[in-house]
Amino acid sequence: MAIELIENGESIKSDLLTLNMGPQHPATHGVLRVEIKTDSEIVAEAIPHIGYLHRCKEKHSENLDYRGVIPFCDRMDYLAAMSMEWGYALTVEKMLGTEVPRRAEYIRVMIGELQRLASHLMFFGVYAIDLGAFSPFLYAFQKREFILRIFEELSGARLLYNYYWIGGVWNDINDGQLRRIAKFVDEMKTELDKYHTLVGENKIFIDRTANVATLTPKQVYSYGATGPVMRGSGIKWDLRKDRPYSIYEEFDFDVQVGHGEKGTVGDCWDRYHVRMREMHESIKIIEQCLDGIEEGPVMGKVPKIIKVPEGETYMRTECPRGELGYHLISDGGKTPYRLKVKSSCFTHTSMLGEMAPGQMIADFVATIGSIDIVLGEVDR
Amino acid sequence: MNNKTSGLTPDLHAQFAENSKRYEKELTFGGWFNNIWRSIVSVSKGMYITFRYVWAEKPVTIEYPEVREVLPENSRSRLFNDAENCISCLQCANACPVDCIYITATRRDKEAEKIKTKDGTPIRLDLQQYTIDTALCMYCGLCTTVCPTECLTHTTDYEFASYTLDNMKYDYLADYIRAWRDRIVKD
Amino acid sequence: MHNEIVSHLNSAVPGCNATAVIAEVGDSSIFVDSTHILKVCEDLASGDWEMHTLQVITGTDYEDRIEVSYVLCSFTKNNELILKVKLPKADPNAVPEIDSVCSVWKAADWQERECYDMVGVIFKNHPNLRRILCPEDWEGWPLRKDYVVAEEYHGMKINPEHKVNNADHHFFKKIQETQEDPKKVSFSWKGE
Repeated sequence: MAIELIENGESIKSDLLTLNMGPQHPATHGVLRVEIKTDSEIVAEAIPHIGYLHRCKEKHSENLDYRGVIPFCDRMDYLAAMSMEWGYALTVEKMLGTEVPRRAEYIRVMIGELQRLASHLMFFGVYAIDLGAFSPFLYAFQKREFILRIFEELSGARLLYNYYWIGGVWNDINDGQLRRIAKFVDEMKTELDKYHTLVGENKIFIDRTANVATLTPKQVYSYGATGPVMRGSGIKWDLRKDRPYSIYEEFDFDVQVGHGEKGTVGDCWDRYHVRMREMHESIKIIEQCLDGIEEGPVMGKVPKIIKVPEGETYMRTECPRGELGYHLISDGGKTPYRLKVKSSCFTHTSMLGEMAPGQMIADFVATIGSIDIVLGEVDR
Repeated sequence: MNNKTSGLTPDLHAQFAENSKRYEKELTFGGWFNNIWRSIVSVSKGMYITFRYVWAEKPVTIEYPEVREVLPENSRSRLFNDAENCISCLQCANACPVDCIYITATRRDKEAEKIKTKDGTPIRLDLQQYTIDTALCMYCGLCTTVCPTECLTHTTDYEFASYTLDNMKYDYLADYIRAWRDRIVKD
Repeated sequence: MHNEIVSHLNSAVPGCNATAVIAEVGDSSIFVDSTHILKVCEDLASGDWEMHTLQVITGTDYEDRIEVSYVLCSFTKNNELILKVKLPKADPNAVPEIDSVCSVWKAADWQERECYDMVGVIFKNHPNLRRILCPEDWEGWPLRKDYVVAEEYHGMKINPEHKVNNADHHFFKKIQETQEDPKKVSFSWKGE
């Protein structure tokens, strides 16, 4: 409770305390600074300050040829770099009208889903750390390591891949790798259940996350939140299902939404649980990919010097953290005239100010963790 | 009168109390025991999993300086240019998104002896400078994919930290780097 | 879809001068008059088109104008729309003004701040219009085409001499001097 003194028959209340959380706070997942005004332990106002990791990627891309932008896309969301590249590659392919070979599409979907798995595993581990459990982080990283190893063998890099190229993918995948992926996803199914028992069903975890930072569908629409944050609030919307890009319409999977099992619909636990169940869906898609993968080339026909015709396009893809949009405006030259990146993390960070008032500071940490932001994508 | 009261404060507490009331069910005697039981069960389930990792799982880490990991073959690490096979086409420098490759070449005299690369491409330019500022390089691999004679490659060396930035500038015509060639280039 | 929206807008918001640009490559867009943007957005958000969500605001700098694109999307109707306005600028450093749409979508708050920060468009009636990605005392609009990087920031030199790798950049000049015919030298370094 706020300090309340009675002096000369009049009550004097304490002022709000301003507390700076970050930019080097471990719970802010990077260099986010949140200026919190608190009354004792209750947050009255939270103002996120971003820009500490601003690297002018949009300005850079105006001076690079279309192929040279791809490595820069990696560096925006460094935990889901494959998905970032995919969105960009699709944007340019849409403008060029490039046909991507079937095998490349299968590889893209499979690698994209593996990336989603890796990204959500990272979320799972880091969220547990935020709430005070250390060992789940190590278990999740052990499994994530396998995915990174596969990516390293395919593309040559562990984190910033430059693997999805305009017109296809860089390297072909071989049968040995496919077999290893099949074995991995098979053991991942039981592993995920184990993780959920360890963290999601834990009484302490439920008490810390259920009924915390509830988002109503109206707020979600108004702020334009997407991805697991949106689905956590009970809105059944997934670009892969509702506006399929690539070859997603051929796969059979469900869209997971929050049901409010432990609290209300749209709380932190729902957002956590949506991600956990989404991993199972990713595994389903990967298994279908492994069954259906076709032989053939992995690169389509792309001119040596890419010149995108004059015009503009807005391409949305479903990244692990939400919808990623590339707004490409071209003047017909060798470089993009303007490339705007709509980042879901940017949108979600702007919601912190709305979610924070009226909750405890400790709950605010749970809130930041549950929207799973990567500051590289927020600041770009 | 000392009006220090913030306009937000009283509402906030009311809001918080209301929130807590809305979500918290009334605690009954049975519910109290149920809570304790559920805590014990869920924590012991978690402990079972954690202790399994202690005894039933093998370590997955490696002890780095003693055991060194071998990177996959197409791993993108330190760049190497085999200057003997370079035709100075400048394609790598043009493809580089961060402009960290500096090449200078002079045209060979027509009377001079005709030389060719390993794969038979005639060399018409004499390489005078081939420097890569590795501190700027972002290891994207675009330069190696455009190389027509495949003389510019990523090696799998990953231990090349240095004390100064100047040491990160690799002059591929210098002798000490030419000495790597025997190890890296396999005919 | 675009032509229907245009005819709807022209009747619902008189004077907005909506015109559709149907593109052969890429996505089509709709241009409206910048003075009526708030009314147009209110109509699209609450009307039959159910554009519940503002996805992104893109500011693009051209020689004589700044174009602001609003990408709206509807989750119920499953479509998206690029709504554009042209803001003429009299001289290269002019900062054009437009109404804020914060009252329609809360997403516009940060998106407009970013647009202000990067391209230099003032959104009238915005609750908190200040720079978001750059420091608050930064000068200039980074995403304009004629933007030049400042030389100093708070006494710190941007790109100081000793950090520029001149020896390697200008190696070719040394070679050119020794050669009889400078045209014989080819080099990769084109920048300054």
